[in-house]
Amino acid sequence: MLSTSPQSVVGVAPATPAAAGKSRRLGRRERGDRRFALLLMLPAALFLAAFVLWPLLRFVCDSFFEISPFAGAGRTFIGLDNYIAAFASEAFTSASVRTLVYTFFVVAMEFTLGLAVALLFTALGSRSTVFRTFFMYPLMIAPVVAGLLWRFLLIDNFGIINELLFQVGILSSPDQVQWLSNPNLALFSVAIPDIWLTTSFITLVLFAGLQNIPGDIIEAARLDGARYPRILFNIIVPLLRPVIAVALIVRGIDAARAFDVILIQTDGGPQGSTTTLSLLIYRTMTRFGDPGLASAMGTLYLLAMLAVSIAAILLIWRPGAGAR
Amino acid sequence: MNPLETRGRSRILLWALLAATLVLYGFPFVYLLLTSFKTPLEAISVPPSVVPTVWTLENYVSALTRQGVDAALINSVVTALISTGLSLVLAVPAAYAITRFRTPSGRVFILAALVTRMVPTIAVGAPLVEIMRSMGLTDTSFGLALAHTTISLPLSIWLMASFFEAVPDELSEAAQMDGCNRLQAMIRVVLPVVSGGLAVTAIFAFLASWNEFLFSLLLTSVRAQTTPVVIANFQSQFGLDWGGMTALAAVYSVPVIILTLFLQRHIVAGLTLGAVKG
Repeated sequence: MLSTSPQSVVGVAPATPAAAGKSRRLGRRERGDRRFALLLMLPAALFLAAFVLWPLLRFVCDSFFEISPFAGAGRTFIGLDNYIAAFASEAFTSASVRTLVYTFFVVAMEFTLGLAVALLFTALGSRSTVFRTFFMYPLMIAPVVAGLLWRFLLIDNFGIINELLFQVGILSSPDQVQWLSNPNLALFSVAIPDIWLTTSFITLVLFAGLQNIPGDIIEAARLDGARYPRILFNIIVPLLRPVIAVALIVRGIDAARAFDVILIQTDGGPQGSTTTLSLLIYRTMTRFGDPGLASAMGTLYLLAMLAVSIAAILLIWRPGAGAR
Repeated sequence: MNPLETRGRSRILLWALLAATLVLYGFPFVYLLLTSFKTPLEAISVPPSVVPTVWTLENYVSALTRQGVDAALINSVVTALISTGLSLVLAVPAAYAITRFRTPSGRVFILAALVTRMVPTIAVGAPLVEIMRSMGLTDTSFGLALAHTTISLPLSIWLMASFFEAVPDELSEAAQMDGCNRLQAMIRVVLPVVSGGLAVTAIFAFLASWNEFLFSLLLTSVRAQTTPVVIANFQSQFGLDWGGMTALAAVYSVPVIILTLFLQRHIVAGLTLGAVKG
């Protein structure tokens, strides 16, 4: 399943010698094909140009202006001043660090838990299918709902998590851990619903990858006396590398853009300890009313995301590398 | 049989481990459902209870009769349907062209579609506020659906491309031999073959709009507001009505979860494909 991807479309053009030989005879038909293909892609391309590219260009353009938050008021071109202000602001640099910490934490937790569950499902074989379906239910839940739900579960005075931890004797009092109001802990607590929502995504992807691992390699390693941990780290993980890379990149990008989940739980607090870049930009755009500065911050954020993801795409889709 | 499948006595241990994982993973939502059937007062009692002492629909009644909630539910359905339709109409021909004709422009296009996934929502959302205003689409379901389509269209293109990929080129070639033109070959011959894929893509496009929050927050205020924004407002606008929040959250999530359980096999395929294709 994972191998039948449009990578053949993206990667290497299927210019077989036979096709090249025929090209003269089929010239007219091929030109017709190309025109037809362009015609089919045109509506979607126009849509994306109008509603993604054009807004993005305006957004980037705004970053060079000083813009009054009041509608109809003027805008002055100020060159790179917004960028200088962004880099000079402590809020921007610390929000960047928080975004990195948050993303790394989410991805690391999801990968560890996701791989463990995928291996568990694989070990149990086909009879675990029903449970696999059940396991993916959080993927369908709105991030807003998940954020509110976890805020409710972790709330200081009547959260059920602390109550249960207290009852089994892990905590000495039900309000010992202040999940969302301790500034040193909150950034990790707000990540919990994100992890809860999408660990099953990593599990599904890795599970699909695990089904494609050739059995004889594992058997051979077993006959040589290799134990499970060695098989896992020396055979399974290296073989899954392309699948792991894709799963981690997709999740990393989404985690770095996390907005609703955090906004709903802490609104960036306490003491700004959960203000990631997306929250900072949103606030600068709306509440503090400096759209120009917000656009500069957003453009830097956008450039960083594009750089990371394009590098990742190039690494995965090395043409002809035979990536899975 | 997969070589990583375990046999023998350790299987019992693994089943126990799986059961524990599923209980832990399922608990948050089960607790949400249980809370929604408590009285509003018990929902916020200290110490909290797991199972309601009195089962009641009070929270459902109060949440669903609250002003604006019914309109928000309708808005969510309307917006998601428009956005799903728009995504499919735009994505199906594009994905077909990309996989069937393999032109260089197609390759550029599918990569561009992938890159749009990396763009932070706010960078598109903030300028869209102005653009929607100039088009007269502020606070309309159609305007919001257009914004949601910027998320679901790239996803739909990737999903549909992977489904078309599985169809042999010979099929449409044979159709053309039999006198179909290119358009007829696509609509009459190839599309019916990928109807399962169409359904999966439709569900993902629907979910993308159904669960979206930031665009709704930016682009709607009263008339076109969708349910996620209303759920989020439960905390500030009406004090801390946790009981009502859990009831509305249940109403909003349960139908989607049931729908996906019905179509689980297709959806698992779609999810893993979507993973690799972005």
